[in-house]
Amino acid sequence: MFLPTRLIVIARRCLPRLDSIGVARHASTYKTTYTKRNEGVDSIKKSVFMSQSTNVFVNLALEHWLYRNFNFSNHHVLLCYINDPCVVFGRHQNPWLECNVHAAEKEGIALVRRNSGGGTVYHDKGNLNLTFFSRRDRYNRNYNLKIITNTLLRHWDLNSEINKRDDIIVDGDYKVSGSAAKLGMSNAYHHCTLLVKVNKANLNSILEKKENGIVTNATTSTHSAIMNLSDINPNIHMKKLIACIGWEYMRTKALVCEDGEYDFVQQQKGFQYINPNEHWFPGINQFINDFGSWDWNYGKTPKFTITRTFDVSTNDDKIHRLNLNLEIENGIVEGIRMNLPAGLVSTSDQDVSVISNLRGTRYNHEVTEKIISEIGKIVTLNTIQSIDENNVRRFDEATLQ
Amino acid sequence: MSRLMVQIGRCATKTLVSQARNDLFAQSKTSLVTWRSITTTRCLRSERWYTDKHEWITVDGNMGTVGISDYAQDALGDVVYAQLPDVGFTVKKEEECGALESVKAASELISPVSGKVTEKNEAVENKPSLINTSCYKEGWLFKVELNNLDEIKSLMNEETYNKFLKSNH
Repeated sequence: MFLPTRLIVIARRCLPRLDSIGVARHASTYKTTYTKRNEGVDSIKKSVFMSQSTNVFVNLALEHWLYRNFNFSNHHVLLCYINDPCVVFGRHQNPWLECNVHAAEKEGIALVRRNSGGGTVYHDKGNLNLTFFSRRDRYNRNYNLKIITNTLLRHWDLNSEINKRDDIIVDGDYKVSGSAAKLGMSNAYHHCTLLVKVNKANLNSILEKKENGIVTNATTSTHSAIMNLSDINPNIHMKKLIACIGWEYMRTKALVCEDGEYDFVQQQKGFQYINPNEHWFPGINQFINDFGSWDWNYGKTPKFTITRTFDVSTNDDKIHRLNLNLEIENGIVEGIRMNLPAGLVSTSDQDVSVISNLRGTRYNHEVTEKIISEIGKIVTLNTIQSIDENNVRRFDEATLQ
Repeated sequence: MSRLMVQIGRCATKTLVSQARNDLFAQSKTSLVTWRSITTTRCLRSERWYTDKHEWITVDGNMGTVGISDYAQDALGDVVYAQLPDVGFTVKKEEECGALESVKAASELISPVSGKVTEKNEAVENKPSLINTSCYKEGWLFKVELNNLDEIKSLMNEETYNKFLKSNH
């Protein structure tokens, strides 16, 4: 159960930070010259690491730590971890567009941005996360996914396919696994989810509802019909699945999907339980903190605008249409524009920069609500006879888009 | 192997085209450029330099323009998001300075030189597919004020880069 000595040596050499910019200090310790892909293939050994944590921040930090510090030249690693309920979105995604942030926070479901690309996924203890680490020039998603499909076929006689998006699908069109990857200067990883017995009701309610009127060039998720492996075959359960995938990984040759059988397994480093703490992985606590920070999870959202349209009725039975436009950069409200129609305020149609005290604050769903209630005050001030309190209250629910 | 040759062929064609366009565009400045090339930066003008991580840079004076090579854009596939370094950011040679996302993979962008970012290509931020359709022209990524022109010396010229591609991929 001990980690290789090399891991510790490398670990002490540097304490990198999470954020992508300016982090590659360790890079100088790697050979920068390119070596041919197959060079030294016979010396590659394989390990299956099993994280003992179910905390998503800790597991993402462990994954990131290995990516930043480990030397995968002669050692390929499959990391397995399971998380408590959480939503994990891609590096360049907008959480407000991808999931119901408000509901997730209320339910105590953690929201976290990962470092890899791709779309948003829901995790709970019925979902297995598999991370395949290698040197960048040996990164091969298809090889990794075949390890999984071969496992399902060998042990449960289950036929599955890998589609163009690198999803694993069963029964024609049901997704059981989704993939994403991170490619760096020296190292790369490909990670994927595997739905074993996920709470589908939770998954749907958290991922379904989105905020309206968001315009952004952030990466958006592709919705797919999903299925649990345990629904297909009740004999598939988590513990056995991890053991079988790990075994399949170790019996498969390092760079080609070729069965090395039992003798080959004997040459590998085997299964290792990993306790992701500062003692074994110096610097991991910083990563854990970073993954839990607002600056990372929301502050790294690609800039976006939110446009809302409201119908406001005044007590002379006229309906007025209001447009609200918010510009959000680095998760911060940088611009608020409101178009107030003639008749509702004393001057004619105009753009009014309002609620200047909200500018510079962190965006959340309450910002629009606050603005609407503030507008109520402004409108009341200017057309004090035409709007009563009840009408102003009703604006809050009158979102049209 | 044949695919590789095709790629190199494509690469060469693009270079030719872009050179031709450059010349057309820069006709009025010819005398100035000639003068400069004679007196100072003999080898740097308009030549494209490459890293083994498939980034390219062209240098004019101490200003560099950075992008990714045709090989890199082809290997990445359709780029869906470009995370570029902000103006004023200090990039360092062989260190991460941004990321490009394609088919669910986030690839680190490695700076070929050290210096200060003076401009980023907002057209690429808004339309990342420009990297696929025009990696040497419209799909440039950022401009940088170089700290040390000597850093260029460790990079490959077009010919060496093509040989590098041939022997390693």
